[in-house]
Amino acid sequence: MLKKRLIPKFLLRDGRLVKYVRFFENERAAGNPVTTAKVYNDYGVDELIVLDIVPSAASRGRVVDIIERMSEEIFMPFTVGGGVKTLDDVNMLLRAGADKVSVNSEAVRRPEFLREAARTFGDQCMTVSIDYKRISPNHASVFIDGGREHVALDPIEWAQRCEELHCGEVLLGSIDRDGTMSGYDLELIHKAASVLSVPLIVSGGCGSLQHAIDALEAGASAVAISSMFLFTDHSPIKLRSHLFSRGLDVRASFSSRN
Amino acid sequence: MSRVAIVDYGINNVRSVKNAVEYCGFDPVVTHDADTIADASHVILPGVGAFGDAMNNIRARGIDEMLERQVREKGKPFLAVCLGMQLLANTSEEHADDGVAHRGLGWFDADVMRLMPNDPALKIPHMGWNMVAKERDHPILANIRESNLAFYFVHSFAMRCRDAGDVVGFAQYGQPVTAVIARDNVAATQFHPEKSQDTGIELMSNFLRWNP
Repeated sequence: MLKKRLIPKFLLRDGRLVKYVRFFENERAAGNPVTTAKVYNDYGVDELIVLDIVPSAASRGRVVDIIERMSEEIFMPFTVGGGVKTLDDVNMLLRAGADKVSVNSEAVRRPEFLREAARTFGDQCMTVSIDYKRISPNHASVFIDGGREHVALDPIEWAQRCEELHCGEVLLGSIDRDGTMSGYDLELIHKAASVLSVPLIVSGGCGSLQHAIDALEAGASAVAISSMFLFTDHSPIKLRSHLFSRGLDVRASFSSRN
Repeated sequence: MSRVAIVDYGINNVRSVKNAVEYCGFDPVVTHDADTIADASHVILPGVGAFGDAMNNIRARGIDEMLERQVREKGKPFLAVCLGMQLLANTSEEHADDGVAHRGLGWFDADVMRLMPNDPALKIPHMGWNMVAKERDHPILANIRESNLAFYFVHSFAMRCRDAGDVVGFAQYGQPVTAVIARDNVAATQFHPEKSQDTGIELMSNFLRWNP
């Protein structure tokens, strides 16, 4: 059976690794993405997600360069996104070495784009990224443009719609919990996992080993982690061995050597 | 130093296979030139895309005859990956028109069939990290612990071999999935070793040092 995955999530701004709290607060520089990716590769993470959070024509070239350099030395699946609007954008990122391309705002504005991209490149290449906020205790809503624009969509219903449009995977991120290391939004994860049939990657809030266990037990196929790996002493190695020892179905070890 | 030929049959992304060969310390060349393939020490047939298009490209460029000569007659070590592996079968039912299956290279007595896991919760494509259980040992899996035989898969079709002796290992995904096959100087993997981290690099490195 397929293994549950541990996925560091990289946010790029002008080609540098950055991290915020709740998308906009407390910007922290987090170093060089290629160097950091190599460290995580040595730690045996299962995949990498790389998102350009302030996309522009100039930053696309930087992202392509970064992905090309990563794929010279790092041999695992990459999901890359940020400002993806056209089939050419998808093609450019796949050619640079991405295995999957993440689409967010453009899928909301133009759902047909997702279907077209899946038809052209295969469902397995298309990840839809969905950011949401709780706008009242019982009501969550989707935000696009890096959390700037509110759209009247329920995140779970939108995820189901994306599945109908042939996305291969859903990356579901809580803006409220982003960077807070206060734990994942388990209630919403549980609901999403119970109605989606494509793999669900969850993002936003991981600050302890137990948080990752909770999200996987709530039904997530993969945990995306940023702050915890960047700013605490919980490394991917430590997390993997903890999950494995607790009986979660993750890859046993990062090294093939006898 | 002799080079490693990565067969170019018009698929657009062979970058990670090429990078992985370089990372292992070998000199890759992406080519469909007969002389370059003849000069290579090892040959890799990568694969992403659809079976029918791939076979059409291979025949149009005469790659089928080139490989027949270099791999089957001269015995050059050969590794086929993902769709590359499926192309070694007799037929594939992928997008078969009017129920007529596409014809493959026919190096293995096998057919390529759509995955049909016995659990409706299991999605197609089979995508992600899965374990491979060995049916037997093979040099390309040398020095890899059994508990570390996790590889990255992305596919909706898989090969079914009639000769059980051809199968080196299976994965399980609601059905046995043929993951590694081999005979003589030919080996093939359904998963992507070039995306399977240390274990995948170890496998590629084993292949590049293999002299059957």
